[in-house]
Amino acid sequence: MLSRLRRNVNIFSVVSVIAAVLIVVPMLNIITEIFSTPTPAWIHIRDNLLRGYIVNTLILVGFVAVFSALLGLFGAYMVTRFEFKGRKLLSWFLILPLAMPSYIAAYAYADMFSYTGTIARFFRRLNLPIIINMMNMEGAIFIFTLTLFPYVYMLTRSALSKQSAAFSENARLLGANKIRTFMRVVLPLLRPALVAGTLLVVLETLNDYGVVAYYNVRVFSFAIFNTWENLGDTQAAIRLSGVLMLLVFAIIFIERMIRGKRQYSIHVKGRPIPRIPLKGWQRFVLPSILWIIMILAFFLPLAQLIYYATLTFTDVFNMGFIFLIINSLTLAITATLLTVIIALMLANYNRGTQNNFKKGLLKITNLGYAIPGAVIAIAVMIFFIDIDHALFPLYRLIDENSPRLVLSSTLIMLTFAFVLRFMAIGYNSIEASYDKVGTKFTEASYSLKASKLKTLLQVDIPMIKHGLISAAIIVFIDVIKELPLTLILRPTNYNTLASEVFRFAREEMLQESAVPALVLIFISSTLIYILTHYKKKEVPINVR
Amino acid sequence: MYVNIESLDFAYTKRNPVLKNISFSMEEGEVVAILGSSGSGKSTLLRLVSGLEIPTKGKIEVNAETLCNANTFIECEKRQVGMVFQDYALFPHMNVFKNIAFGIKNYSKEAKKQRVLEMLKLINMEEKIYAYPHELSGGQQQRIALARALAPSPDVLLLDEPFSNLDADLKLKIRHELRSIMKMTDMTAIFVTHDYDDAKDIADRIVYLENGRIVHEETIKPD
Repeated sequence: MLSRLRRNVNIFSVVSVIAAVLIVVPMLNIITEIFSTPTPAWIHIRDNLLRGYIVNTLILVGFVAVFSALLGLFGAYMVTRFEFKGRKLLSWFLILPLAMPSYIAAYAYADMFSYTGTIARFFRRLNLPIIINMMNMEGAIFIFTLTLFPYVYMLTRSALSKQSAAFSENARLLGANKIRTFMRVVLPLLRPALVAGTLLVVLETLNDYGVVAYYNVRVFSFAIFNTWENLGDTQAAIRLSGVLMLLVFAIIFIERMIRGKRQYSIHVKGRPIPRIPLKGWQRFVLPSILWIIMILAFFLPLAQLIYYATLTFTDVFNMGFIFLIINSLTLAITATLLTVIIALMLANYNRGTQNNFKKGLLKITNLGYAIPGAVIAIAVMIFFIDIDHALFPLYRLIDENSPRLVLSSTLIMLTFAFVLRFMAIGYNSIEASYDKVGTKFTEASYSLKASKLKTLLQVDIPMIKHGLISAAIIVFIDVIKELPLTLILRPTNYNTLASEVFRFAREEMLQESAVPALVLIFISSTLIYILTHYKKKEVPINVR
Repeated sequence: MYVNIESLDFAYTKRNPVLKNISFSMEEGEVVAILGSSGSGKSTLLRLVSGLEIPTKGKIEVNAETLCNANTFIECEKRQVGMVFQDYALFPHMNVFKNIAFGIKNYSKEAKKQRVLEMLKLINMEEKIYAYPHELSGGQQQRIALARALAPSPDVLLLDEPFSNLDADLKLKIRHELRSIMKMTDMTAIFVTHDYDDAKDIADRIVYLENGRIVHEETIKPD
């Protein structure tokens, strides 16, 4: 028993268990708070507002999910199945809207369509009495769809390019025409990718605060912030978080139930499906639709921001702004490094495991991404305040005049929340690399009496470095764009690019928000470019 | 002649012809093996007969119908040709019943069920009717793929390396089963293999293919 335990205790298992405990405890706080005596604010929310929050959230999430799935699928199908001018460029351009944080697109569009905005003025010049109000539910659906569909696009494109031609060829040989083949074979086989992509869109929509706050769409994250900030009722905010968590888990559970015992992949060698050149009217019309999507999702808001930046650059760009960039980069780099290192330990601990304890631990540590930022923020804050209370005697021992809250007023709390929220993203990318490499190299290293750490540093890391870099880039982009966690958990007077964009927008200084927004978009776009082009150069490991 | 292939040429690019001047014919109910090493063009020949590729030149006729020549090309979904792929390509999201019924969409619900049961009886797998492909062994998957291809009663059945994914013991068993199913259904079939024993055991005739050309034909005498 003791020797078994000793065999299982190593750097990977220790880090994994600590990570799981640190993630579970804040979440347990939320669950236990739900069962405490309800406050008057909660009773008011439950009786008068909750139904509205649920209905609004379902409407928003439902429409965004359907439209993003359609756009993502259309884009992916076009670039993988057809050959046309500009296809290569579009195939990575269609990922770019991910570099445009939803809240920045929302501010830009709201401004463009406002009475004095560029588009409204353009319509007036043409004597067209068109007034489009963006700041409502429909506007929010439009913004989320355009900025989040690349999640569906990326996963579906990858699945389509790997789908063997044998399935659709077989369907056609069995008499199915092109439409039946698509509906009955191609589309169902894409289901895991479509569902996974759409689920990411749903989670990101639920996570958002910037868009719904600005467009005044009363969904859950709006309600949680409002209850927390304006009503000052932590417990009611926690209860709302609890309901939202239930909603998220219900969505995931229903998807699993519908899937049943069906599988969507089976090993079939076959050739990939060849691309067909577009002919006739299709040659112009279909790629044009993709370009219109790109213009709406990326280039139009970008152009608006660039125009505003030229007006406000000299006012905004000063030493304070440089510190803002340094703050954002330091925070993102620290959170990314920590996330990737812990994800690496977790991936090592779980490689090829069938052990239920390990699998359970993994599920817990990957839970963060499914939980909206507002919920994590509250859970982490309460957790850190509890730690501060517990450590207060120690603080007093070190410094008699120590304040009661130490850890919860530092960047440690925010960094911890980032790691918790983005762990799943880092882990999935690293795990995919480990799956490709297999375990034989690691086993060979162990058989040569190398320690676990030496094997990790000298064998595993060099072999999965592409996966590690991808993980780091994706986590970095997510952290630097993140808003809800940053807003709640950042120390007083500590600003980042994201929080500054939000502040300017809230104070109706949209022109001033353009410069920090552009820096964010520039950093994210450059990283997306590196990610998409660096991956292509990856050399596959073919060892028998 | 039931199957007639005349002067068939095929190339993916002009400089690299895959098949050159392929001609042979088959009687109804005859089983022909195309034997050749990898890269000899044997799978491409099946893709041309099935209509998945368009030949650069030549003619294919099956059951007195011209499938392709200089002026005609019948799309693959309109040909009465069944095919069993190397990896079987069973649709992973459909159970056995739905896989087999996929190709017989014009049947009534009752007739469809009857036909699927008939096929399952033929391959002796009635109990697996609602199983999913991932719940079947390699040999079982291969038999279901065969049943699926036979269900629409094709004029000709094509089999692309049907034993390449089976281990040696299973291969022998399935080989004999396949032979008896072919004879039971009186199916005209072309199958592609690189293994002489497979060809000898199943086929009535072997066509040897080398670098895209037919180099030899051999009639197999029954044991």
